[in-house]
Amino acid sequence: MSQSGPSNITARATADVYTRPDQPGRPSRKAGRGFSLSKVVLILVVLYLVVPLGAALAFGITSGSRIDFSGLQRTFSNPDFGQTLLTSLELALATTIIMIVLVTPTVYWTHLRLPRARPLLEFLSLVPFAMPAIVLSVGLLQEYSGTSGPLINILSLGFVPFLNNTFNIINTPPLLVCAYVIIALPFVYRAIDNSLRSINTTVLTEAAYSLGSGWWRTFLTVILPNIWPGVISAALLTFSTVMGEFTLATLFTIYTFPIFLNSVGQNDPHQAASLSILSFLFTLICVLAIIVLVRFRRGGTGGIGGQVEITGTR
Amino acid sequence: MAFLELEDISKYFGRTTAVDHINLAVEQGEFLTLLGPSGCGKTTILRMVAGFEVPSEGVISLDGDDITSRAASKRPMGMVFQSYALFPHLTAEQNIAFGMSIKHLPKEQIKRRCTELLELVGLGDKGRSYPHQLSGGQQQRVALARALAVEPKVLLLDEPLSALDAKVRVSLRNEIRRIQQQLKMTAIYVTHDQEEALAISDRIAVMAKGRIEQLDQPEEIYSNPRTVFAASFVGSSNQFQGVLESASQGLCNVGSQLLHVPATTALHDGDAVLVLVRPEEVMLQEGTAASDADTDHGDNHIAGVIELRTFLGPFTRFHVRVNEQTTLTADIPSQQARDFFVAQHLVMTFPSEACQVLPLDMSEVKLVEQAETEAV
Repeated sequence: MSQSGPSNITARATADVYTRPDQPGRPSRKAGRGFSLSKVVLILVVLYLVVPLGAALAFGITSGSRIDFSGLQRTFSNPDFGQTLLTSLELALATTIIMIVLVTPTVYWTHLRLPRARPLLEFLSLVPFAMPAIVLSVGLLQEYSGTSGPLINILSLGFVPFLNNTFNIINTPPLLVCAYVIIALPFVYRAIDNSLRSINTTVLTEAAYSLGSGWWRTFLTVILPNIWPGVISAALLTFSTVMGEFTLATLFTIYTFPIFLNSVGQNDPHQAASLSILSFLFTLICVLAIIVLVRFRRGGTGGIGGQVEITGTR
Repeated sequence: MAFLELEDISKYFGRTTAVDHINLAVEQGEFLTLLGPSGCGKTTILRMVAGFEVPSEGVISLDGDDITSRAASKRPMGMVFQSYALFPHLTAEQNIAFGMSIKHLPKEQIKRRCTELLELVGLGDKGRSYPHQLSGGQQQRVALARALAVEPKVLLLDEPLSALDAKVRVSLRNEIRRIQQQLKMTAIYVTHDQEEALAISDRIAVMAKGRIEQLDQPEEIYSNPRTVFAASFVGSSNQFQGVLESASQGLCNVGSQLLHVPATTALHDGDAVLVLVRPEEVMLQEGTAASDADTDHGDNHIAGVIELRTFLGPFTRFHVRVNEQTTLTADIPSQQARDFFVAQHLVMTFPSEACQVLPLDMSEVKLVEQAETEAV
């Protein structure tokens, strides 16, 4: 699922070597000839990724020595299948939208107005990595169960007591979305921060200002189109993380697709295998659709990375 | 009242004074250049005029209106940046149209104006190119057209040619001047390149340490610098530290000998002074000793040995060793320079009128040395 920056760079650099015109006095290397080490490594990596999927698929659609689709049929006929898939989809979409809407302008604003605060934000963005899901969920559940102390009330600027008094969000999908927003912060912050660093954010902003553009217009029409690949990367990572998240959903007692998958797997391993393949394909289709959309949209510009870069993994 | 006025403007960044009580008046249609070394405050002044920085003290007024605290997006300024700052996701035409679309101008008018401006900057056929498909010079032309598209009252140019190669720099600076004169646009230009400043400006403000050292026409800045810094930063010069022997007779003792300088009433006998002579004022004569020369005519003669000879096209530069500590420079038209060679003994001659005498301020000398070190 995840792809790292350095491997992309290596792949591009390798391609450059092969496409460069031959130089005098230097042995020529031509593409497609021989079996280079990089190809062997590539094949091994592909096998490492594909074999378990193939095995799961084979296991899911076979019964003994014959092909049997009854497991899949049982899956589709289970009413929980559609329900949990929809719940996970809603959670993933809500988290993705909140993350992008919340973090993108904030990071831009920090770049522009508070560049000195960037190290602090970088540190804060790494905290969720260090925090176990159990700690996060227990903390959130305790704070939103109406027993939050005065310190939390002050630190949250009155937000926690306001939510407690206004809504009953304990063990509800909105609180789970809040938890997901926290665990997805590193992916989103890193991706957007890297994108903003790669463009000349301050000068582009000043150029737009000098042409009469205000802050929001500059953000939406100048900055956002140029950091779009980073935003999409952030969205993809958030979406796929939430779609596969199990621990927090269990602790919040929200019946999501991964929990459904787990419960089915305990009774019917064939059905669980076919479901996991379906889950994988579903996420893959979503991710590919977004990547294709981004490439199509940015076909003409080429300059500032028309590629979606996955900048963080967990 | 001038068109654009900066009254007693200062800017502090923490304990650092970037701009120190500047007063500046720019007339409508004038091309004013802020010239100085890095850190002299020239860009900070431009950014305050643009609205990207707020002055710590003072008032900026444009056409009679106080714009000191007005947001950058509300000021009628067009800005050209050193790094072009074109929007990478937009074509050249879309970049130029950006400011006009914010003003909600009719589409036909925007289209027509884009075409006009692309023609004006000589890029009529590049409207559909993206910035990454254009050369540095072409990108800067688009940036210029984009800044002009919003019909600004003042055009601000922040070292717009620094990132370009020498040949493009010369042609584009002439282009900028032509367009500015054609549109009668008020322009403030920031540069550290004195040749650029001398070539295109109506007036130049030579800056150092957040202050304006001299504000004058290019010819005056070059011929009659008022401070040691202005004299040293603009053009090159031979410098002699000395004491004024007789202000009324125009005699200055520079240690090894007496120099004939223009008589002055602004200075007094015994004043410490710096005598400056431009290299192009110095002539070379074959000979071996200063005593050979006739000093009655008020000319100065200094004997020396050619240490270095540098061919610079139209003229040749000679570095002449006068004594252990001093090397003087002479620029001789290349056709007349053929008779002189390295290690040749000769006499350097320059008239008294070629000498500029300035009161010696050691802090300014240090400033000059600092600027030269930074330039290296």
